[in-house]
Amino acid sequence: MSEAPVVSVTVPVEAVAPAIVDSPAAGQENVRTRWESWMHAVFTLREDRFFLMLAVVIGVFSGLVVVCFRLAIEWTQITLLGASLSPSFPRVVLAPTIAGIVVALLAIHVFSRVRGSGVNQVKAAMYISNGYVPFGTVIGKFFVCALAIGSGQSLGPEDPSLLMGAGIASLLGRSLRLSQEKLRLIAPVGTAAGLAAAFNAPISAVLFVIEEVIGTWSAGVLGAIVLAAVSSVVTMRAFLGPDSLFRVPPFRLAGPGEVLAYAALGVAGGAASLLLLKWIVFARPKMQALPRWTEYFQPAAAGLLIGLIGIRFPQVMGAGYAIVDQAMHGQFVWQLLLLLAALKLLVTGFSFLSGTPGGLFAPTIFIGAMLGGAVGSIEHHFFPGLTATIGTFALVGIGTLFAGFLRTPITSVFMVIELSGNYTAILPVIISTMIAYGISRAYQKVPLFDLLARQDGLLLPSIEERREMTSFVVEDAMRTDGVLVAEPGEHIVEVARRAEANPEAALLLRMRPGEWWLLDRDDVLRLAPDAARTTTPIHAKSKGPIPYLFRDQGLAEALQVMGDWPVLPVASRADLAKLEGILTLADTLHAFRKTPKEEAE
Amino acid sequence: MSEESPRILSRELVLILCVLALVVLLALTALFSRMYHKKIHTLADAMFAQGEADEQAGQVKAALTDYRNALAYNPSNPLFQLHLAKALAAAGRGEEARSYLLNLLSESPGSGEVNLELARIAAHNSSLADAMRYYQGAIYGEWHSDPIAMRWQVRRELCDFLLSRGAVKQAAPEVIALQENTPAGDPARLKIVAQLLLRTQQWNRALEVHRTLLAADPNDEESLAGGAQCGFELGQYVTAMEYFDRLPRERREQPDLAYRYDMTRRIFAADPFLSGLSAEARAQRVAGALALAQTRAENCAHQTGQSLEQSPPQTDLQRVYQQGRDLQQDWAPRYLERFPDRLDAAMAYVFSVENASAAACGEAQGDDRALWLLGRSRSVVNQ
Repeated sequence: MSEAPVVSVTVPVEAVAPAIVDSPAAGQENVRTRWESWMHAVFTLREDRFFLMLAVVIGVFSGLVVVCFRLAIEWTQITLLGASLSPSFPRVVLAPTIAGIVVALLAIHVFSRVRGSGVNQVKAAMYISNGYVPFGTVIGKFFVCALAIGSGQSLGPEDPSLLMGAGIASLLGRSLRLSQEKLRLIAPVGTAAGLAAAFNAPISAVLFVIEEVIGTWSAGVLGAIVLAAVSSVVTMRAFLGPDSLFRVPPFRLAGPGEVLAYAALGVAGGAASLLLLKWIVFARPKMQALPRWTEYFQPAAAGLLIGLIGIRFPQVMGAGYAIVDQAMHGQFVWQLLLLLAALKLLVTGFSFLSGTPGGLFAPTIFIGAMLGGAVGSIEHHFFPGLTATIGTFALVGIGTLFAGFLRTPITSVFMVIELSGNYTAILPVIISTMIAYGISRAYQKVPLFDLLARQDGLLLPSIEERREMTSFVVEDAMRTDGVLVAEPGEHIVEVARRAEANPEAALLLRMRPGEWWLLDRDDVLRLAPDAARTTTPIHAKSKGPIPYLFRDQGLAEALQVMGDWPVLPVASRADLAKLEGILTLADTLHAFRKTPKEEAE
Repeated sequence: MSEESPRILSRELVLILCVLALVVLLALTALFSRMYHKKIHTLADAMFAQGEADEQAGQVKAALTDYRNALAYNPSNPLFQLHLAKALAAAGRGEEARSYLLNLLSESPGSGEVNLELARIAAHNSSLADAMRYYQGAIYGEWHSDPIAMRWQVRRELCDFLLSRGAVKQAAPEVIALQENTPAGDPARLKIVAQLLLRTQQWNRALEVHRTLLAADPNDEESLAGGAQCGFELGQYVTAMEYFDRLPRERREQPDLAYRYDMTRRIFAADPFLSGLSAEARAQRVAGALALAQTRAENCAHQTGQSLEQSPPQTDLQRVYQQGRDLQQDWAPRYLERFPDRLDAAMAYVFSVENASAAACGEAQGDDRALWLLGRSRSVVNQ
């Protein structure tokens, strides 16, 4: 459904309304229409209302599936690696290796679409395949990712969860035969539901979808996304409990000096994000270039390497939330924290580059927490007066790496608050994430998801680029000269005289504040010689009323309003009788053609 | 646009199917969730039990691993967190324990147990202010089992901590509160309170507690020793001697009592005001005291290089000494025996000389010290 253009078009109500109200037949017709509308509203669901209701259903479905998915991962982990956080020697190597072979076989022969980023798959569904996400992918992601993550591969459940949400939404949308437009929008709705349930963080999920998937605060879909996210979290909490993902001891920012401590973390986080990004940028094409038969062994090889590292450092295996929780409680010395961050960065690369399905969110959280904890410990060593705990640094580190690596700064800030249930960290998180985000952007132009999409040959829209595209407004294109404004009582001779003096100027007639008409220059000039013999008022020769614009309106919006009118007035919002300029089609096109250099000038 | 067109039938059918699928999925999820939670709770409980067993066996490292495993399966369990924190603290990893405890404290600020653990960590880190804050939190916090006994125990720990840090002033009110919360029929706790009162030098209260203890067990050596000590410090040498006499000789000769016992004996030998003495014995004792004080003054003057006869007197010692010089004849033993009203003046002179000597030459020893102590106790009594 298209949105009604939000423009101030001056169509006098009286010009239309009396025609309906005054006629008895029209009145009867109106009553009938209203009755039908009422019946329609009561006994049927309009598409937009139905879409909102469907969002709740999607949320509940997604919540249930994500709960099952998380249980499946945990169960697989207990079965394959044992109940202890430190698996015994044969298991720690054999489980990820053998599971890697099974994962490869399933990914190649049974669920061919389970590989790759779930975020990009959702975007592809939205921008390429009209919202179509094959349900087989949902099933594949569920089983293959549960096996991979449960066996110790260094990947997380969030990315598969969001795709599962999108897949469920897509299936429901298709089954209910939604319109093409709604079908395209339904995948992000499911994405929000899946991610919200996986993170137990509805606000972050909504923000992530807006920031990374759809790229705009579209009112048409925002309500559905929020409803889906909330309903999925409610469903998930009914089964897994209301607790936040991590528990962090409360703290307060003692003084402005402590901000510097978080700024340092931002720098470290930005550097670590870059390292992880560059590692993937560098190695992924090389892995993709390997002979096809190696795909059968890549996940197993990654599993073997991870298992070997896991003998000494089992903390780096799997999603690692329990380890993050320990780090937040200051359970590791800074040397170990740094080592774990570096090893996790390495093994995550192994898992992801080998094509093992799974997400990068959890490893990012892990690396961020370890790095934050390490930076915090080091800073505490040199500045014992710092009031923040290691846990606070670890928490801020999560947001920092998230912003630097996934390039979703707003999501990162809110995610930290939601993951910890602790609002006190907001200022440090903002400072640290913005620094990391800035560093990441400065040294890695293409964001991760865009990069992965391009490496996979998909030309998906870059939300970051789109976010930063210059948005032209009427002010950029309008002219303040070249217009003559006539008043209704003005004599035509006078108008003609002024028109002759300004041969290029457009002629506008100001009937009353907020009502503009267009005068034809030729008509005015033709009638002027006979003006003494005619009583025709000037406004009789005008066309209108014509729409008018404001200087802050978007140019794209102005184009929609412009229609066939050659020129439109730009009025003042403070005084509708005041003309601030005019806009022509040529001016508009010229503005769009401006180069960035010209723009800067 | 087709969005306005009703698709009642097809959508309703699909929705009915959706609802059915939802019910099935809900049931399956509930089933899996129940099975999973049962499994992880069993695992967590088993690991926790193993951790407790390891801890009791003194294997702190193994206990830590077990508690961490248990916590991984039940992260929000406060009991697991508390035990892990306790084990960490026991392993000397106070900062790591502190983090869990702060988290627990944020969830239940009134928990006595959590406050106590935090207090112990703060005490270990010699953070007096934090320790006192958390100890107070523990004393006034919630305790699930036997809160009165737990609060008493925590307060006792606080007193011990403060005294170990030499914070006697802060400890004194806590010890008094402890005494007031100790039932009279609990000798074990009364003994602890009595010891703390001794350490905070609250002699009257300590004597009172020791008397209570001795009423229950008249031969309790610790109480007799405590009572004797209190009696001595309060200048109640009769009381002190009574308790000293009831103590075995070996106990009296132990370092903490030997000096006080010796002094008490000397005081008893020198005190002319003891009841039951004959007039002659009193006079003899006063004369002995006068001679001792005079010698002490002369030695002190020699030691400090001053002349006791200097006129006009420049020092307290000279002034005090010269005040009594002219009365020496009146204080001869035969006059003292005949005129017992002179005993007080003579002894006042002795005490003044001992005080002035102590001020000029430092603390006296032996019989001089006994006289000085006697003088102090007499002045307290007179006041």
